[in-house]
Amino acid sequence: MFHIQWIWRSTDNRHRILFVVAMFFSAISSLMLLINPYLSALLIDRVIIAQDKEPLIPILMGMLAVQLVRLMLRFAMNMMLESTSQHTLYRLRCHLFSVLQYQENSFFNKYRTGDLMTRMTGDLEYCRHCISNISYQVVDSIVMFVSTLVFFLLLNWALTLLVLIAAPLLFLIMRKYSRLVRPKFVAIRERLSELNTAAQENIAGNRVVKAFAREDYERDRFNERNKAFKEANLDVNNTWLHYYPLIEGLANFMTLITIFAGAYFIIQGRLTPGELAIFTSLSWALANPLRNFGTLINDVQRFFSSAGKVTEIYYSRPLITDRANAVSHDKESIKGHVEFKNVSFSYNKEPVLDNVSFEVRPGETLAIMGPTGSGKTTLISLLVRLYDVSGGSVLLDGCDVRDWKLQELRAAVGNATQDVFLFSDTVEGNIAFGDLAMDEESVYDSARRAAAHEFIGRMPQGYDTIIGERGVGLSGGQKQRIALARALAVKPAVLVLDDTTSALDMETEMHIQQQLGQLPFPCTKIIIAQRISSVKNADLIIVLEHGQITECGTHSELLKKRGYYWETFALQSDTGDCKEVCAHGT
Amino acid sequence: MARNKFDVDERLEAPFNLSHLKRSMVYIRRHRFKMLLALLLSAMASASGLFGPKIMQWTLDDAVPNRDVSLLFWLALLFAASVVVGILFTTIRSRIMAHVSQQIVYDIREDLFSHLQKLPFSYYDSRPAGKILVRVINYVNSVADMLSNGIINTILEFVNLIFILIFMFKTNVTMSLMVVAGLPVFIAVILLLKPRQRRAWRHLSNKSSNYTAYLAESIDGVRVSQLFSRQEENIGTLQRLVESVRSAWMKAVTISFTVGISAELLSQIVFTLMYIAGVYWLGGAIVSFGVVVAMGQYVSRFWQPIINLSNIYNMFINNIAYLERIFETMDEPVTVDDAADAYELPEIHGRVSFQNVSFSYEPGIPILSDISFEVEAGESVALVGPTGAGKTTVVNLISRFYNISDGAIIIDRSHDISQVTLRSLRRQMGIMLQDTFIFSGTILDNIRYGRLDATEDEVVAAAKAVRAHDFIVEMEKGYYTEVNERGSSLSQGQRQLISFARTLIANPKILILDEATSSIDTKTERLLQEGIKVLTAGRTSFIIAHRLSTIKGCDKIMYVGDRKILETGSHDQLINLKGLYYRLYTAQSKEMGALEPIIS
Repeated sequence: MFHIQWIWRSTDNRHRILFVVAMFFSAISSLMLLINPYLSALLIDRVIIAQDKEPLIPILMGMLAVQLVRLMLRFAMNMMLESTSQHTLYRLRCHLFSVLQYQENSFFNKYRTGDLMTRMTGDLEYCRHCISNISYQVVDSIVMFVSTLVFFLLLNWALTLLVLIAAPLLFLIMRKYSRLVRPKFVAIRERLSELNTAAQENIAGNRVVKAFAREDYERDRFNERNKAFKEANLDVNNTWLHYYPLIEGLANFMTLITIFAGAYFIIQGRLTPGELAIFTSLSWALANPLRNFGTLINDVQRFFSSAGKVTEIYYSRPLITDRANAVSHDKESIKGHVEFKNVSFSYNKEPVLDNVSFEVRPGETLAIMGPTGSGKTTLISLLVRLYDVSGGSVLLDGCDVRDWKLQELRAAVGNATQDVFLFSDTVEGNIAFGDLAMDEESVYDSARRAAAHEFIGRMPQGYDTIIGERGVGLSGGQKQRIALARALAVKPAVLVLDDTTSALDMETEMHIQQQLGQLPFPCTKIIIAQRISSVKNADLIIVLEHGQITECGTHSELLKKRGYYWETFALQSDTGDCKEVCAHGT
Repeated sequence: MARNKFDVDERLEAPFNLSHLKRSMVYIRRHRFKMLLALLLSAMASASGLFGPKIMQWTLDDAVPNRDVSLLFWLALLFAASVVVGILFTTIRSRIMAHVSQQIVYDIREDLFSHLQKLPFSYYDSRPAGKILVRVINYVNSVADMLSNGIINTILEFVNLIFILIFMFKTNVTMSLMVVAGLPVFIAVILLLKPRQRRAWRHLSNKSSNYTAYLAESIDGVRVSQLFSRQEENIGTLQRLVESVRSAWMKAVTISFTVGISAELLSQIVFTLMYIAGVYWLGGAIVSFGVVVAMGQYVSRFWQPIINLSNIYNMFINNIAYLERIFETMDEPVTVDDAADAYELPEIHGRVSFQNVSFSYEPGIPILSDISFEVEAGESVALVGPTGAGKTTVVNLISRFYNISDGAIIIDRSHDISQVTLRSLRRQMGIMLQDTFIFSGTILDNIRYGRLDATEDEVVAAAKAVRAHDFIVEMEKGYYTEVNERGSSLSQGQRQLISFARTLIANPKILILDEATSSIDTKTERLLQEGIKVLTAGRTSFIIAHRLSTIKGCDKIMYVGDRKILETGSHDQLINLKGLYYRLYTAQSKEMGALEPIIS
């Protein structure tokens, strides 16, 4: 019931009304289904048997009119239901998408892309199907069953009760089947999601697959899932076929009782032949709904298992959101003063950062160095609240980032992430990603500063060249430069470069460094890098090891300390004797 | 190459024709005996269903007037028996057909996926992943029912139709002709609507494909969207896409409903006309009233299969739009494939030579022109040069990720890479790509991807060699930690180390490292190089890197630029040449050397 309520709540009043009207139409049109057989009988009695042409035309016209009205009602009902289901689907898709847009990292670690895709396509399809088809089929069946039942009871209650003798048993069987089949539909749903994930990862990772010539392995693995999906479907089918004979048999049993008990009643004189004719001619109206219930159970259970998956996403709320008393900041007046105060952070209960403190004044450059996995990326993620600190506080312009409005906070910080993700859009669209209204000149300017203008100009359609998804077709260095241009284009108060120049050659990097030094807007820079050349001019360099700051100072100060920084410098410069330094350093 | 975007409809290259439908017969033909059996069972089930009315008639005509309770009992038993037989046949048919339709889905999906494995990079690079995904999953699911039950039901309904026609014409030819006269009208309606209906469903498949593509990309790029606060705009884009799916859907179903309703309406009109004609025109004189009644029943029996057929027809029209897309993908040319007489590349030593190699992604825009070089087995070569100069392209050609447009690439003096099987070629290469990809699964699985039969000890040894062991064992579940593509529990450097281990464990003869260590800290990198030095002994290696320390250690350095290899030689040779490499080197040394006195 929860899932049905959820669907109901997901639409608007106009479509709720449409839906109710459609259900009403469904009820009327299935009641009308009982009229023409009656008129048909009239036709035979009054016209054919009575040899009277007089009532022929009125009856025929009546039948035609009934059919015409019924079909119009059906058409209207179908269109209303389609409209309602499409509208609801539209709202669900948009809502789910916006839920996804605001979810934090931990959410995306939990749900794989293929799984989310299944929820947003296949699962929603069953929700749509529930509104547009299952709904009226249920109403049809119930109306048909109940109206026929009432009619029968009025006609001959004893025979009707006898006919209904099998109904409770049928009900019990259906309930048992329904319970049995439910987990099996959940299983189909899981197998589909796994299949989706396998295909999605194969497509996304197709370069790795080819590089290792793993096509056969991938095929086998995919086919395993393909097979599991097939088996899950067959499992439901087998279960259904196990119960189908019982359900179908009992539905037919009702017809059997109608005829033969009816015949016995006639013999006993408790029923007239005419009455029995009505009973037998309408026995389908009692048996068919019961039959339909069997298949409807499948549809409904399928809907439940899908709806469960969708609501899970629908109701998940991100933990990182604006606080109630979030302070608003004017973008123009943001200075870019960054301060970390005793910041600690744990991920999955494992400490990542431990008591980190530093301060970067507006316009200064901070460089962060440290071994792989020491927490550098995590550290700067805290600034834009991709995660929230476990202890201490991160301040931007003296205000705790958790008190900022999230949107403004992130707009104030320009990020060029390590794992460059570009969208399948034009080069220009990618650079202007942070601000759709950006003029061309700003795009070109950012590209020039990021040393990207030249190679973009050499592309076949220049700035209008469409970049493949994830930036395929571009070299690592080209991707990094577009990502840098994208970050610069929003003219952020704080610019964060996470290993953004690692794939660039020296000359290009020097050009970029020079450009960063003379940006036309005030900008605090935070740079994560492994190269000494990238960090040595920074106002402050911190070395992060195992989540703690172990060294802190300027280039020359750090060299004197003869620690990690000095060691790295020695390894990277040609002057030091590598082996000696290594031995000395560790 | 023309790239497709999420909001650009895909054009269908090959219009649908009969050969497409014929082609789907490949999947169906395999099951023809089963389907024939199912057909037979269905026919027998319907036949046993026909007993019902007959028994009913006997009951009312014989048993009731004669008050014969025992006959009643026997008739009831007969009725029950006919029902049981009917159910039995139907159950068996359903079981058979469920297997058939599931097998068809399985087969089509298997073939589609297999074909996708053969498609070159350019295929994947030129369209959003979501558009490929939707074909493999959603479209295949949709067409299965059409290709199994759709076909059986079509045949059944036609058989039904023929039987009824025979009965009808046997009863009365004139009136039958009147009943059948409605058919051309219906066919006219269908033909009138068909082009629009086809267009509408094709339009819908395009729109839903766009939606899927945007969805997939948005999920993958969600972090960037958040960092740039683009959520609102993205939601706006999605709303537009979903809105066009909705309007495409509404158009398509409106036409389909119209087809369905017109059949039912025509049936009623024909019934009316037939009755009027039967009673007024022919009544009593030419045909008996009994005939009119019987014909009245035949009308609905005749039109029921037609209504059913029109529903099946609707299903066909909808699904053909999907079938087209599936076959289109299967027809996508495999540009990089084994030659007809390709042979297995025997175990190689690793000598690589480029002989006048030219290459372009698109005709007319050369990327590399007339490149020649030799690398001896066991040598290490560094490729340097400005970003985007074509270094990655050079190494991609060695593994034949693309076909060269001119020249030849020869391994071990005698094997042209275009003449050996791709599998045997790539199996002997270890390629570490610029962008790492982590599959969802354990770290162990990810490393083992390089060599599937590697033991756990070997995995650990590889991880130790690339210095990944330490951080792996620090994780809660060690090598059994679950990771995935977007998993942020791994840092970029850690992902590179894992993918490095994956490459090493493959034990390749030719090792290609494309910016393999750019995100790894210097100290780890240095330690790593020490470890690799042992492992790379006896292997030919191509290394693309920017760090001079890495480059200097190589036997040979090639400067790539301007679509050519501009300089080749050892570090010392190139320094003496005082050319491009010299400039690159001194630029970097100057940076580093500025503070030289402090260190010495």
